[in-house]
Amino acid sequence: MSTTRQGGRRLGLRARLLVVAVFVVLIWAVVYPNLVVVGESVKGDGAITFGHYAEYFQTPSELRALWSSVWISIATVLLSALIGVPLAFLFARYEFPGRRVLGALAAMPVLLPPLVGVIAILFLYGESGIATRSLQAFLGLEEAPWRLRGAGAILAVHAYSMYVYFYLFTLAGLARLDPAVHEAAASLGAGRFRTLTRVTLPLLTPTMAGAALLTFMTSMASFSAPYVLGGGFRVMTTQIFNSKLQGETSMAMVETVMLAAVSLMVLWPLSRWEGSREYVAPGKGTRAARRPVRSRWATIGVPTIAGLGVVLLLLPHLTLVLVSLVPDGSWTTQTLPPEYSLENYAQLFGDARTFRPIVNSLLMASAATVIAVALALAVGQLVVRWRVKGRGLLEAMLALPWALPGTVLAIALATTFSVNQPWVGRIVLVGTAWILVLAYTLRVLPLTGRAALAGFRQLDPSLEEAAASLGAGAWRTLRRVTIPGLLPAIAVGASLAFVTGLGEFVASIVLYTHRTRPISIEILSQLRDFDLGTAAAYGVLLMVLVAAAFTFGQRWIQGGSEPG
Amino acid sequence: MSGSSFLELDRLTRSFAGTAAVYELSIDVAEHEIVTLLGPSGCGKTTTLRMIAGFEHPDSGCVVLEGRNITGTPPQKRGFGMVFQHYALFPHLSVGANVSFGLETAGYSKSETRERVASALDLVRLPGIEDRSVGSLSGGQQQRVALARALAPEPRVLLLDEPLSNLDAALREQTRRELRSLVKEIGITTVYVTHDQEEAFDLSDRIAVMRSGRLDQLGPAEELYHRPATDFVATFLGRAGAVDGTVAGPAEGGSVPCALAGPVVWPALLPGSKSAVAEGENVRILARPEALTFVSTGADGALRGRVVDRRFAGSVYVYTVSVGGGELEVQADGEAASPGDDVGVQPRNAPAGIFAFSRAQTAAG
Repeated sequence: MSTTRQGGRRLGLRARLLVVAVFVVLIWAVVYPNLVVVGESVKGDGAITFGHYAEYFQTPSELRALWSSVWISIATVLLSALIGVPLAFLFARYEFPGRRVLGALAAMPVLLPPLVGVIAILFLYGESGIATRSLQAFLGLEEAPWRLRGAGAILAVHAYSMYVYFYLFTLAGLARLDPAVHEAAASLGAGRFRTLTRVTLPLLTPTMAGAALLTFMTSMASFSAPYVLGGGFRVMTTQIFNSKLQGETSMAMVETVMLAAVSLMVLWPLSRWEGSREYVAPGKGTRAARRPVRSRWATIGVPTIAGLGVVLLLLPHLTLVLVSLVPDGSWTTQTLPPEYSLENYAQLFGDARTFRPIVNSLLMASAATVIAVALALAVGQLVVRWRVKGRGLLEAMLALPWALPGTVLAIALATTFSVNQPWVGRIVLVGTAWILVLAYTLRVLPLTGRAALAGFRQLDPSLEEAAASLGAGAWRTLRRVTIPGLLPAIAVGASLAFVTGLGEFVASIVLYTHRTRPISIEILSQLRDFDLGTAAAYGVLLMVLVAAAFTFGQRWIQGGSEPG
Repeated sequence: MSGSSFLELDRLTRSFAGTAAVYELSIDVAEHEIVTLLGPSGCGKTTTLRMIAGFEHPDSGCVVLEGRNITGTPPQKRGFGMVFQHYALFPHLSVGANVSFGLETAGYSKSETRERVASALDLVRLPGIEDRSVGSLSGGQQQRVALARALAPEPRVLLLDEPLSNLDAALREQTRRELRSLVKEIGITTVYVTHDQEEAFDLSDRIAVMRSGRLDQLGPAEELYHRPATDFVATFLGRAGAVDGTVAGPAEGGSVPCALAGPVVWPALLPGSKSAVAEGENVRILARPEALTFVSTGADGALRGRVVDRRFAGSVYVYTVSVGGGELEVQADGEAASPGDDVGVQPRNAPAGIFAFSRAQTAAG
């Protein structure tokens, strides 16, 4: 089984070359930079030293950041579950007017790339945000009723953007359950509560573990929220960025290794447990019946609560659109902006200086998507069709960038590709657009990889055999059968990859130069200049592009789109 | 037949999206009786079972248990055991935990629960597998565990939704015999849903044949077979050929003379509900293969036809004969004729096995 064969046929020379090339590229791009970071973290004066680690564990601020990252992530998981799971049950189990529309809208936070979500919330609930000022005016307060700063603010933003994982996972999990199981419980005398606690929830645990894992990893990797809202409150990602900024290279290396280590330590056991049990409904089974809400207060109450909840979830989007229409500098102390116009959009596309980041992002995201799709397809062919030796390693390398926070990846690339030592595979890429393309490619590789592998696995090999038996050669089979069959999966993976690259912030902030700055960086600098309207207009542009890509790709995303 | 009605369905009606899945369905089930709801897919039999279980609420009509209207009682309060088509065993629980699930709220002590689980598993001949996971069981074992789970709380009524449809043919036949003897041994009142006529014959005390949400006929298998109330029942249970005919005289003693092509006159049974047909009325004549025999083409009262097909059916042959106004099937020992032969066909023992349905009430006419 493990020999390099396809249908009993040995691989030809070109195929063998492809296998070698794929291994070399992935090891060089995915694994090697991380090893360089580990190497740098133990590099002393000409000898290996663990001194930097000793220093790390003796510095209270470092340990505080470590602990902050962990507890924020755990709290994010709990809070996200608390919002997402009941919401999913509400939409999956009850029938009420507007259910379909509200249910779809409840997933809307996925449309906001991390940084855009943060600034939208800032415009809404920040010290001079619309909601904050409204409440201040309403209550006649001297000061803002709250400050959107520190751990609480980070947690709020995390819960807002990550409950969607629990919501979508639970919806999907509930849809997979055999409704007859609930009826069986009822016929055995179990009431609603007992059925929930003894049957439904235990059956959903693998699903929940998946959502918890994704949320935890995303939260550990989160940079935008702590960076913008953290203030003095540091988590590991912002700590790394800070050390890098201040030139404490060795410490940045140790911090990077620590962040990667913590992430992998959680990922390993949880993902194994998640995959170990999966309950799927057998055969047809009746479709799960949604309970119509019957009692009078509930017929009004449930849609109202669901509607209010969804409005609350959509307020950031609406705020972003509103602020994008505000001419820069016109909104100062008023609760609501006094003027509206389309001038920000006109400027965005009219001014070469503000248009540049859009072009940069589009080009770099496109390049990264193309490379990542090509690599993923090659790996899919190697792993699924040719079943080459070391296919487990290939799959793992494809998924590794998902396990490593974007900050880790960026530091690794910045370190590895800042010196020119071609004999050990290191060339200078820092300062060019290629380092960003490489970073984006690695960040989206898990998305295209998962899509391509799923596509290959769903593609019945007998289709290709049928084509061959009808006289089609390898090339015609590929063009007429394999590629068309893979197209839906490729479309999903590519659209996810593209939008992720488009809004990328975490790695960009470490690797950009003025010439290569992407949209996210420009948003940040516009914000620094208090050009809120322009920043928001960029945000709306990203939001619209994300929505378009999702509509093009698939109805739901399932999985890690953008830890950041 | 249903003198002491234990479970009573009274004019149950249930529509989905404006289409009646079940319409004005009334069935009485006596205590200890096994009644099968039999019909093609989409006839409303599963919907009916789910209304009995309480998973579907009828639009109108009621479910009555021992004189008490339980239409509004939720499923968990009905105390009915149910075996689902795909068994719906809880995949995260062991076999023992599955079987004890229905006992947990009954307030049994731990040892009592253990005993009951053990005896339920004994009952289905799977003793001592409490600790196995349900995923490790074969299809037949899962089916029996599902039965044990349903029976453990000693339900008042047992509901079975095509429980054998996922078993392979040999196992299915063996299991249905065991199922009947088990259910009869416990004496539990049972409603069984299937689309398989043989299964219904094997298992049931009485069979309710359903079509398009309505009850065509309710009775013991023999009655359904020998005195079908509709042409649908006649063709759904057992084989029957069909020819056109005309009523040629007054009905007498449940049968009526019918003129077929020829003209040949055969007496045919009238469905019980239809006491009279008008002379000259067009009827559809259905005849069981075993009720007909070959005679010489010139014989008195013989219907002339041509053999178009011959099927070997074990101990006998069944011939398809094209006759004026339709096609008949004739059962005969040995090779009585070959395809292409001209033959005469006659009833063996008229009117047994020959049924007349007026055109107005036939489904396929």
